[in-house]
Amino acid sequence: MALGGIVKGKRTTLRTPLEDDLASYSRWMADMRLRHAGPIWHEPAMPATWKERLKEQAKEQRVVLWSIEAEGRLIGLARARLGSLEGPPGAHLQHFMIDPEEWRKGYGFDAALALHRYFFDYLDLQRCGIELHADNVPALRIAERLGYTEFARGHEVHYRDGAYVDEVWLLMQRATWDERWAKSEREYVPFGVVG
Amino acid sequence: MFGPRIVGDNGVELRPPVLEDYHLFRTWGMLPEVTRFWGPRFTNETPATAEERLKKDLENDNMVFWSIAYQGETVGLNGIFDINWTNRDGETGIFIGRHDLYGKGIASEAVRLRMAYAWKELGLRRTHNWIALANKGSWRANQKSGYSQIGTYPRSWFRSGEWFDEWLGEAFPRTFPADKLPSPWRDEEHPK
Repeated sequence: MALGGIVKGKRTTLRTPLEDDLASYSRWMADMRLRHAGPIWHEPAMPATWKERLKEQAKEQRVVLWSIEAEGRLIGLARARLGSLEGPPGAHLQHFMIDPEEWRKGYGFDAALALHRYFFDYLDLQRCGIELHADNVPALRIAERLGYTEFARGHEVHYRDGAYVDEVWLLMQRATWDERWAKSEREYVPFGVVG
Repeated sequence: MFGPRIVGDNGVELRPPVLEDYHLFRTWGMLPEVTRFWGPRFTNETPATAEERLKKDLENDNMVFWSIAYQGETVGLNGIFDINWTNRDGETGIFIGRHDLYGKGIASEAVRLRMAYAWKELGLRRTHNWIALANKGSWRANQKSGYSQIGTYPRSWFRSGEWFDEWLGEAFPRTFPADKLPSPWRDEEHPK
């Protein structure tokens, strides 16, 4: 139920996770570069445990998981909670991880833009939230470029690398999407427009 | 896990919950008088599942949970939830289920006892919380024990035709007022 479908970016594709992806997932969760950058999705584990986790993820009603590909290679994953009972309909991006061997190639922004197009252009959500480590400069740059703004900052929240780091809380509103991306980032050509 | 009994001032104490308290928690969560800023006012819990819930909470090492008693009677709940033992950080929450007792300072005292326990016994180094901005009584009660605002989450709750923002706060051991330390910790640090 909550395994994501295909969302195409210009250079990356978010797609349904497969059991074949799980060895890479486990390797990423054990990678200190990713562990320093943000929250991991589960600790490293044996293959059978990962299969069980994928099975459980599929039963999730509101949290969706995607694998991210580029040039036919698995390069990352994204996981978001969708919908809101009491607030405006929105998404909360819980995990967005790119394989450190694939960093600095522009894949992160491309996949993030495609995912937000899915949130705003396909699901008609009103906002999207994320929390980032204050020293995760590449992620903060992607968020800022997309249109996120900071609304709160937790001090000395995460302990890693022998010290505490702050946590930045960000929101991107539907109006920002409309203003910044809606014209260029439509998944489908509107009816009545001759292509 | 459940927290220990901590006796405060003015008839307020924190104590480990019992099964009867869980029935009260469920009942209070359905009342309009106390759910303006608490939950969706529906539940999947029944009297039969209360014991199962109690056992789960008891076995959960990442939370510390209390009932709040006032003059010997259970009137609410209090706790530290989702504790991250690496970051030594947790989310605090308090709920007074007896709306006829609002304004008596019960929440302020319960928060003071909880925070003293967090800093003096659990070794936490930070806690955080989310409170409806319009629920001044609640965030003021937390401020008195060292919480400060770190941001405002817009449009968190929709009630009766209007949106309400949320007050986001955090606290540290160093922000707890030393002169408010309750017994037994006060006795150790301020011998008379």
